[in-house]
Amino acid sequence: MATRILTVEDDERIRTAVKLALEDEGWTVAEADTGEAALEVFQRAPTDVVLIDIMLPGIDGFEVCRSVRRISDVPIVMVTARADTHDVVAGLEAGADDYLTKPFAPKELSARIRALLRRTRAADHGHTHLRFGDLEIIPDEGVVKREEDEVHLTKTEFRLLNELASSPGRVFSREVLLERVWGYGYFGDGRLVDVHIRRLRTKIEADPANPRHVVTVRGLGYKLQA
Amino acid sequence: MSSADTSPTAAAPVTVPAPLPLQRPDPRSPASDHEPDEPGAPRIRLPRLGLRARVTLAFAIGALLLSMGMSLLVLGVARSNLVSNRESGATQQIYFNARIVRSGVNPDADISQLLGSLQTPEGSRPVLFQRSQQVEGQDGSGWSQQDPEYGRDALPAALRETVLGGTPAKMRFPHPTTGEKSLAIGIPIRDFDGAYFEIISLESLDETLSSISFTLFGASIATVLAGAALGWYASRRILRPLGEVGDAARKLAGGELDTRIQALVDPDLEPIITSFNGMARTLEDRIEKDAQFSSDVSHELRSPLMTLQASLEVLQNNRDDLNERAQSALDLLAADLDRFRELVEDLLEMSRFDAGVMLLELQEVLFTEFVRQVVRANGSHVPVERSPDMVVDEEFGDVITALDKRRVARVLTNLLTNADKYGDGAVAVRIDADEDWVWIYVDDAGEGVPEEDRDRIFERFNRASAANRRGASTGVGLGLALVAEHVRLHGGRVWVEDAPGSGARFAVELPRVEIDHDALDTAPA
Repeated sequence: MATRILTVEDDERIRTAVKLALEDEGWTVAEADTGEAALEVFQRAPTDVVLIDIMLPGIDGFEVCRSVRRISDVPIVMVTARADTHDVVAGLEAGADDYLTKPFAPKELSARIRALLRRTRAADHGHTHLRFGDLEIIPDEGVVKREEDEVHLTKTEFRLLNELASSPGRVFSREVLLERVWGYGYFGDGRLVDVHIRRLRTKIEADPANPRHVVTVRGLGYKLQA
Repeated sequence: MSSADTSPTAAAPVTVPAPLPLQRPDPRSPASDHEPDEPGAPRIRLPRLGLRARVTLAFAIGALLLSMGMSLLVLGVARSNLVSNRESGATQQIYFNARIVRSGVNPDADISQLLGSLQTPEGSRPVLFQRSQQVEGQDGSGWSQQDPEYGRDALPAALRETVLGGTPAKMRFPHPTTGEKSLAIGIPIRDFDGAYFEIISLESLDETLSSISFTLFGASIATVLAGAALGWYASRRILRPLGEVGDAARKLAGGELDTRIQALVDPDLEPIITSFNGMARTLEDRIEKDAQFSSDVSHELRSPLMTLQASLEVLQNNRDDLNERAQSALDLLAADLDRFRELVEDLLEMSRFDAGVMLLELQEVLFTEFVRQVVRANGSHVPVERSPDMVVDEEFGDVITALDKRRVARVLTNLLTNADKYGDGAVAVRIDADEDWVWIYVDDAGEGVPEEDRDRIFERFNRASAANRRGASTGVGLGLALVAEHVRLHGGRVWVEDAPGSGARFAVELPRVEIDHDALDTAPA
């Protein structure tokens, strides 16, 4: 089945041009011009990736992001006007997996989408069952348990945790995580990592303010420990 | 509207104040020369004192006048009291002594023994006149005294005459030979037709008075000092809110736009604080409006660009379907759309700097690695050389510093682009670091930048004249201006100098920053 992408954008010309460019990649594109319409379309048909412009009339992009996140772990890319505002962090906090700033090249968007669609490379480390204290990861099934209760992670959060779990105790720099999880090179935005780590901690740590498993290493990164 | 409302009233009656002289007026030329328009008598121009100094001086002068007035009053009262006490005491004593003398004088009596036996207060000398003992033609005869200095000649003639005329009298006078202040009292004694005098020295009184005035003088000095201290303290109290205003203004200028002065309890300072906070609010509103405008413009420009770019890409994907002429047109379109996009990005970036709404997103990086990555991302093969005495982190063997990756990457990219456009390409990127700073040097192979252009080159739309001579027409001329702004935002510096050998060296100096990751991680978004 063809990959289906939902673009939420109020500017019709942009929507059409992006749709044309994405269709050139061989993907199916659904469109929505408001947040309300987006949620309706999203609930009606299965969607693989959602592209949301933050500035929307009616309910804004953050709210759409949160609403989608409540019912699905589908990868979300948000589009902001500027990279140096709090919009980026706010969007990531609302549940977005990645962001782009306008005007972006559709090729860049395609690359982001491909990175998000890439399946977890479970075979890379060959473990079927990983245990870190009260934390249990089953990569093949995409399941994470804390004290035997299943924790619901988004695809990106899961990939991030899985990446850290591939070498327990090893320090992963933000750049490495950006490259492995998001497919960025050195110039990815470190805030992507920081916000996702923060979100991950709220889900898998008993006390997110004093993390036991996902630990910050002074210097350059994060590591996972029991 | 508010500025339009106030301007007519402000313009009409108020003359424009002359700028304050930065230096003291030349003492050789009279002050009136500087202000020929000042009517009236020429004023004596004192050195301009600070408010605090003036308040202190005023307090000190006030204290001086007050204490001097009090001292003179105290001294006057003390003097008159002491003198009258002394006089009345002496008068009582002299009547008593006169009685003894009257009963003690007889032809057989030893007068000097009699005088010696009298009880006289200290500094008081008895003098006795007996007309019976007077020898005709012999001046001074008939007078007896214990001390020749304090005899008849010491007594004022007027007093002598009055007393010998039968009237008791007293008189203050300076002693004719020693000059000391003296009081003489005389009582006629009719029993033997004579008179009894006492000459009382008032010098001890003067000593008392001078010790009092000395004490008062000391007290005056203490009062003046206390007054000055009080003035100093009071003015400090008054000036402290002004210091707060100054601090707040500095913070505002530094970009903390939500700075306000806390309302103080003092109602006298209310207006200044209200107007300051009003100004701060207006400023904040204005800047927010500018930022909002910049953001709106940004959105408005980005949307059509987005459409253009996406459509262009669709065309490029289907390039093969186009004929040759259309393909050439497409390539032109693609190239200039890129340029247009860069120009818009630069302008928007610049407008955000102007609005003062920039945020520094600090992230720790391995410095050498970062610079190498940026150079590589630019498709450049320029070697990145580390200074041999670079101060590195032991653990990582590299410099760890926090910087805004996007901005510093832009800085380096713009410098490399600049070297390509105007400097015949970069020949080396050198990096260095000490404990507090990191440096990036971009050396090019061009002709260098003449001294006079070295500051101008970082201004907007201001390509170096050398570049203009070469007829370069690409680029917008915002690249280096943005470099300067990005670097300034980091608290660093950028400058251009001669590269070793030939060419120009662009040097970027950034503070070496450590950040606390845990604080960042747990901080709310």
